[in-house]
Amino acid sequence: MTTGGEKTNGGPRTNGEPMTTETTARAAQASPRALARQRRRHSVARFWKQYRTHRAGLFGLAALALFGLIALTAPLTVGSDVQSVTNAPGRPLESPSAEFPLGTDQFGRSLLGLLVWGSRVSLLVGLLAAVLSVAIGALIGITAGHFRGWYATVMMRITDWFLVMPTLVLAIALATVMSRSLGTIILAIGVTTWPTTARLVRAQTLAVESRPYIERAKALGGGHWHIMSRHVLPNVMPLVLAQTTLIISSAILAEATLAFLGLGDPTVVSWGGLLQDAREAGAVSSGKWWYLVPPGIAIAVVALAFTLCGRAVESVLNPKLGVTR
Amino acid sequence: MDTQDLDGRGHPRRAARTPLRLLAAAGAAALTVTAGLATPLNPAPQQARAEEEGKKVLTVAVAQSVDSLSPFLATRLVSTSIHRLMYEYLTNYDPKDNHAIPGLATKWEPSADKLTWTYTIRSNSKWSDGKGATAEDAAWTFNKMMTDEGAATANGSFVANFRKVTAPSPTKLVIELKKPQATMAALDVPIVPKHVWENVDDFSKFNNDKTFPIVGNGPFVVTGYKADSFVRLKPNKSFWRGAPKFDELVFRYYKDQDAAVAALRKGEVSFVAGQPALTPAQAASLKGDKNIKVNDAPGRRFYALATNPGARAKNGDKFGDGHESLLNQKVRQALFMAVDRKTIIDKVFQGHAVEGEGYIPPRFSTYAWKPTDGQKLSYEPEKAAELLDQAGYKKNGDGKRVGKDGKPINYRVLCHATDPQDKAVGKYLEEWWGALGIGVTLNCLDNVTDPWLAGEYDLAFDGWSVNPDPDFVLSIHTCAALPATPKDTGATDNFICDKKYDDLYDKQLAEYDPAKRADLVKQLESRLYDTGYMNVMAYPNAVEAYRTDQIKSITTMPEAAGNIYGQDGYWSWWSATPAAADEASDDESSSTGVVIGIVAGVVVLAGAGVFFTMRRRATAEDRE
Repeated sequence: MTTGGEKTNGGPRTNGEPMTTETTARAAQASPRALARQRRRHSVARFWKQYRTHRAGLFGLAALALFGLIALTAPLTVGSDVQSVTNAPGRPLESPSAEFPLGTDQFGRSLLGLLVWGSRVSLLVGLLAAVLSVAIGALIGITAGHFRGWYATVMMRITDWFLVMPTLVLAIALATVMSRSLGTIILAIGVTTWPTTARLVRAQTLAVESRPYIERAKALGGGHWHIMSRHVLPNVMPLVLAQTTLIISSAILAEATLAFLGLGDPTVVSWGGLLQDAREAGAVSSGKWWYLVPPGIAIAVVALAFTLCGRAVESVLNPKLGVTR
Repeated sequence: MDTQDLDGRGHPRRAARTPLRLLAAAGAAALTVTAGLATPLNPAPQQARAEEEGKKVLTVAVAQSVDSLSPFLATRLVSTSIHRLMYEYLTNYDPKDNHAIPGLATKWEPSADKLTWTYTIRSNSKWSDGKGATAEDAAWTFNKMMTDEGAATANGSFVANFRKVTAPSPTKLVIELKKPQATMAALDVPIVPKHVWENVDDFSKFNNDKTFPIVGNGPFVVTGYKADSFVRLKPNKSFWRGAPKFDELVFRYYKDQDAAVAALRKGEVSFVAGQPALTPAQAASLKGDKNIKVNDAPGRRFYALATNPGARAKNGDKFGDGHESLLNQKVRQALFMAVDRKTIIDKVFQGHAVEGEGYIPPRFSTYAWKPTDGQKLSYEPEKAAELLDQAGYKKNGDGKRVGKDGKPINYRVLCHATDPQDKAVGKYLEEWWGALGIGVTLNCLDNVTDPWLAGEYDLAFDGWSVNPDPDFVLSIHTCAALPATPKDTGATDNFICDKKYDDLYDKQLAEYDPAKRADLVKQLESRLYDTGYMNVMAYPNAVEAYRTDQIKSITTMPEAAGNIYGQDGYWSWWSATPAAADEASDDESSSTGVVIGIVAGVVVLAGAGVFFTMRRRATAEDRE
């Protein structure tokens, strides 16, 4: 998730430049708001045009759309009744059949239904944890890059500390001491995966702040907040977006890992939780593959899709990486 | 409750009744996963240990960590089972029907006033260093426990009522009691050699795991131990009942049951301990293996749901934060009636358990008790709802029952994260009690000790192994077992203190007539049932498996249908006979390993192929 991002360290972001010239030319004809809207529309169109050329990225996007659709429509297609153990329709651990295309679990619930229902939790946790992680990373990165001095030193040492700590061990420790809930898992993943983002964003902030227009803004009386929110943030935003997409996949994997290790909320159905249930039911040694394989594949496919999308976004936004498809 | 962790804190707990479940730390869980994933897929078939140098080795896969090898401290099932092998007890239990039979003592009888017991000690039992085991050793062991608090940690409850223990001659042991005590023929206390143990300074710290072999007089001698790795034992050739037939007995650690099952399939281990029990899926798949026998026998454990009756200490201080509604007997009974025990047996245990009723498992037929028809709290959700209405816990507009504080009732159920059954039953509770309008939060922890001792729970999953003499599992619900102050740790299970129960308990302990005592014990169980404090849901079977090409025969206890691992005695390992070498055949699992290896190899090759094609295409595109 980080290798692609690392390459952008300190690199100049050229994609912002043409926009400024283009807009100043037409400044006289329209209101600033309309201009901004137009400019954004243009850049989105340009982004999409370039993104379309990445076949892997398109594949990832299609897979994500499919999974998103499945997750969002789950209440209509399978309904929350699928989790009910008292009304389970089948016998325990039935092998795949016409009635249960993916067999049943140890309670006799349909595994296909659970897989569909579990996608909601897995995707939700993945997204929220990634957002939390990137938010922390961006905040620390931007402030450390902007303020420099002792503040930056302290923040970067903390970042380094988190960077060298094995993420999984830290997340397990956090999930163990806190109560078992989705919030805990999100928090545990969020606070352990932010340091790479912080490093990336700080490097980008340093690059942006060394440009002359920042100096101009300062000369015109722009304060810290103005510079960070109006000049630095928009410039690191593409990087942050790409980073988010990449972190989602690792967050989904982390969620599955924690749930598999039995640190998740046992009453919530998620893909990792299904794997954990399978292990506890002895599905591994008794060869009940239909309990293990589908959630495993689902996790792999979604994580892959997010990675492909993230890579594509990254290479569109960073011309230095442009050639790889 | 998984009281074994309480036991670890060093308060008096009787040995062999240690509950069966294992508590692994999160780190161990991680290890577990690695083991679970790596071992079943490891294609290299390992040589059966039994064939090494023609030595017959019996390897047992266990999961529970040894808490201590000192019999004065150990309370976990694995440790106390090993102590049964290392040291002789005064009496033993008959493997057929659990009645007391001679151990180190050949004869025992009470005086007319029931207060003095005289034991005749056998003269043909020798310590493994050559010295004879005498009454002096036994007297020293008991006296040490009576005078040294550290030595009373594990088995202190046995000697609490002793006035004086003497050894007038090497073959005669005299115990004087303060009050009559019915358990005198069932003193589950390992007798240790005085000449070795009198050099120990601090009994609360000495773990008996530094010098090997450990001097003992049981059927086996411990020759090596590494925490969470193995315990190695050699047979005691001069054991008075006859030497065991295997050349070596090894308890090897598999923290993951799937890994243990895979090891059994490969012949790496001869026996997989049913602790935790094999899952129904594992048992079913092992049954199809021609060289493996699955032993599915009635267990000696009960599996219950315990309510927090308001934690309190002997000094009258109340503590903890159990829900006030649980102080109401009607509420407890309503919760009882909303649990469909039949479904739990069918779905969670898939038939590998017996539906729970009384406190003591039906396997101990002398003491097992069943509720009468009028008394029985069977599954009747409508009646449960009525009871809750009567008790004043009515539903609000949202269909949730409201407590006295005006908030919807939501019970926190303490469950063991390491026990899949807890989680599975918890899912059912959520739905059953949810239908009554009561919320359930499963609080699954690796270590339930802290909230348990602090009384910070509403209900909890609980389970104890019951001994042939039920005194101990009954004693943990008496007022006397409560902690002295909220800061102390008592022997109590879940803070039950009921006057009627205590009176009956004292009566049964002083009753020497077996039939009358059994009747009193049944009254005791009846009282416990009516209070609704303990909902015994099931008596889980002992589901364990062994290789018939390595173990030819092994004694179960009771002999007709009983468990092998965790017996009240040394019968299984002492009696196990090795299969002849030529019977040990390579089974198909090694070829399964090879097949898996080949498939994995093909997949990797195919993956590599695809990868390289894509790389080549990528470079081609790059060149454009």
